[in-house]
Amino acid sequence: MTASAALLPPAFMPSDYGPGLRPHVGEQLSSMISVPLTDLFPRFEPAITAGDPADLDRVRAETRKSLANVDMSKIGPGDSVNILASEHGFGLMGGWPYAEMVKTIREVVIERTGCRKVSLRLAIYRGFREADEVAEHFGFEEAFEGSVHGLGPFDPGVEVDTAIGPMYLIKRAFDGSKFIHAYYDDPREMYFNRLLYKSFKSFCMSYARYETRSVYHSLFGNRSGSIIPRALFDSDFIQQRYAFSSVLRTTPMGVIGIDATTDLYAIDRRITKGHLETYGRMQRLFAKIEDCVAIWDGGRWGYYLHGGGLIFGTLLTSHSDAFDLDKPVVAGFMQVPGAPINFSRHKALRGIVVNQAWVGAGIPYVTMPFTSPMYIVGEEQAKLWREDPTNPLLMDRATVVDSLEQGIAMACEKGKTDKLIVFDGSYGHITCNRSMADLLMARAPEVEREVADTLLPKWMAQRGLA
Amino acid sequence: MAVVKLVADYAVEPCIGCRLCDIVCPSNAIEMVGRKPIIDDALCIGCGRCVDRCPEDIMWMEERAAPLTVTVRPEAAPQDAVLALLDKAGIDPAVSVCVCTLTPASEIAAAVVKGAKDLEEVCAMTGMRSGCGIYCVAPALRLLQAAGRDMKPPKAHRWYPSTLSLWDVPAEALARYPDAFIEEDRKAFDPDGKYAPLPENAR
Repeated sequence: MTASAALLPPAFMPSDYGPGLRPHVGEQLSSMISVPLTDLFPRFEPAITAGDPADLDRVRAETRKSLANVDMSKIGPGDSVNILASEHGFGLMGGWPYAEMVKTIREVVIERTGCRKVSLRLAIYRGFREADEVAEHFGFEEAFEGSVHGLGPFDPGVEVDTAIGPMYLIKRAFDGSKFIHAYYDDPREMYFNRLLYKSFKSFCMSYARYETRSVYHSLFGNRSGSIIPRALFDSDFIQQRYAFSSVLRTTPMGVIGIDATTDLYAIDRRITKGHLETYGRMQRLFAKIEDCVAIWDGGRWGYYLHGGGLIFGTLLTSHSDAFDLDKPVVAGFMQVPGAPINFSRHKALRGIVVNQAWVGAGIPYVTMPFTSPMYIVGEEQAKLWREDPTNPLLMDRATVVDSLEQGIAMACEKGKTDKLIVFDGSYGHITCNRSMADLLMARAPEVEREVADTLLPKWMAQRGLA
Repeated sequence: MAVVKLVADYAVEPCIGCRLCDIVCPSNAIEMVGRKPIIDDALCIGCGRCVDRCPEDIMWMEERAAPLTVTVRPEAAPQDAVLALLDKAGIDPAVSVCVCTLTPASEIAAAVVKGAKDLEEVCAMTGMRSGCGIYCVAPALRLLQAAGRDMKPPKAHRWYPSTLSLWDVPAEALARYPDAFIEEDRKAFDPDGKYAPLPENAR
């Protein structure tokens, strides 16, 4: 094992929705180490960046290289073009690689088409202040000469007729004559999207009103929900305005390039294949963890903090193979009658220590402290959680601790485990302690064989990619 | 059931009367009178959306003197009517429609059976939407639609009548998207084959 002292993750954006920035776990505890993912899976290819700001020129160059082959003939000098960006891209590796791709798209479109009216539409999750924070932090006001607007699920909608019926998108997203789908391929909630046409998901989430998001999550299953973003994308409304897609491609190692073309279905097939090969191995490795304490240590909601390129939610739901489409539900709202799944419950997760993370702010953790004891470091964070309307009962169960060390000690004692894994935004490596590193190293070869010989052929065949 | 610990308040003098707090309130707890919001504490379900939305940053949430428990007990409504409504909407009674408050579909249906006329009244009666305010909406709208309520959207984009479900996907769409697992999910979630499309959503 070539593990080193814990590497610092990319710096993250300060926010009204989170506590003041605290030192990272790796800065506070000398016992934490970073395990390179290539020690676990030597077949993983190197990335062009895992978030180091010095690598942004590579992202810019890759974006230009990919866009050079894109047919932009749908955009004329007289058009007004919206570049649609989604908030979670700014949570990947500090957000700068995605921001760089977005800025470069604008430059190239202006150069290639003569169109000067190129605006940014920043789709955020729920907080009405998120878009302003993102625009300021990443310098979008300057890069887009002030033509930047946020989009949220509560904004005015527009009815769109689709093959399955009417749905509602956000009007402002499509108030230009054309739009560009500027996306990232982080599989994120693979337990919901199941890697079924994930590249289309923004059309029923980021760009959609809250009612459409609710239909996707609550009135369809994990698998069948994939029809909704495709029906929206294929609608006349979208196709009349769609110019092309540009996607920041990732593996658990980091950014591997940019994939841009007018054919989003082709991009999706490439992404799905690559993700099953890489994120699939990591997800199955998480499934081998029998007991652990997780530490949240980043600048987004706890569910969505990355460790080894996978979000915490992936560990939480690793009790099921998210990619096996024979299973109707891994996590979700629609349930098989008589066999409900509580996706906030995983016996291997013995506790959660919150060093830093956004509070709920729209993300419910209702049952989590009942099934996985939570330890909140510091009164400042505890106060934010107490005032979080999304999780009014959480602090009735969570424990406030004075220090990270105290939280870890209490969690490990109660959970009867000595294994720690940190979700600090890292790609290319996992921040953990020695005990966890030893377990991951011991189990990785078995996962490699299992995925290569059995699971990957099955996952591919289930998606018509064999 | 929702246990509401917080209630919204604001500073009257600097309020510019923009009405954005009123528009995002899920339970009709805010009424604009003379370009100033009047907050009905009894209807406020503590979601905090008005505070987040306020462009002047002059609203806040404060702790209630005593938590407000908001609920419609399923047995408070005729059970046969509740179950019939859920069957018509194609929603399992046990599923948590609001994952923030863990409010089951049976409670939402009971609120509708007891007379809730629109989404805002369902929220005020059950406390749903006091959390994220997003993912519970379509099932509640579908139950209102199944009960024959007026689905004309209210002013100011409060909500749109989006109620499509797995059971509504038409045959042409099944043919167009054969890999969408529609038939498979219908069998998984409705093994007895009792659910059907809502007539209003038929194409």
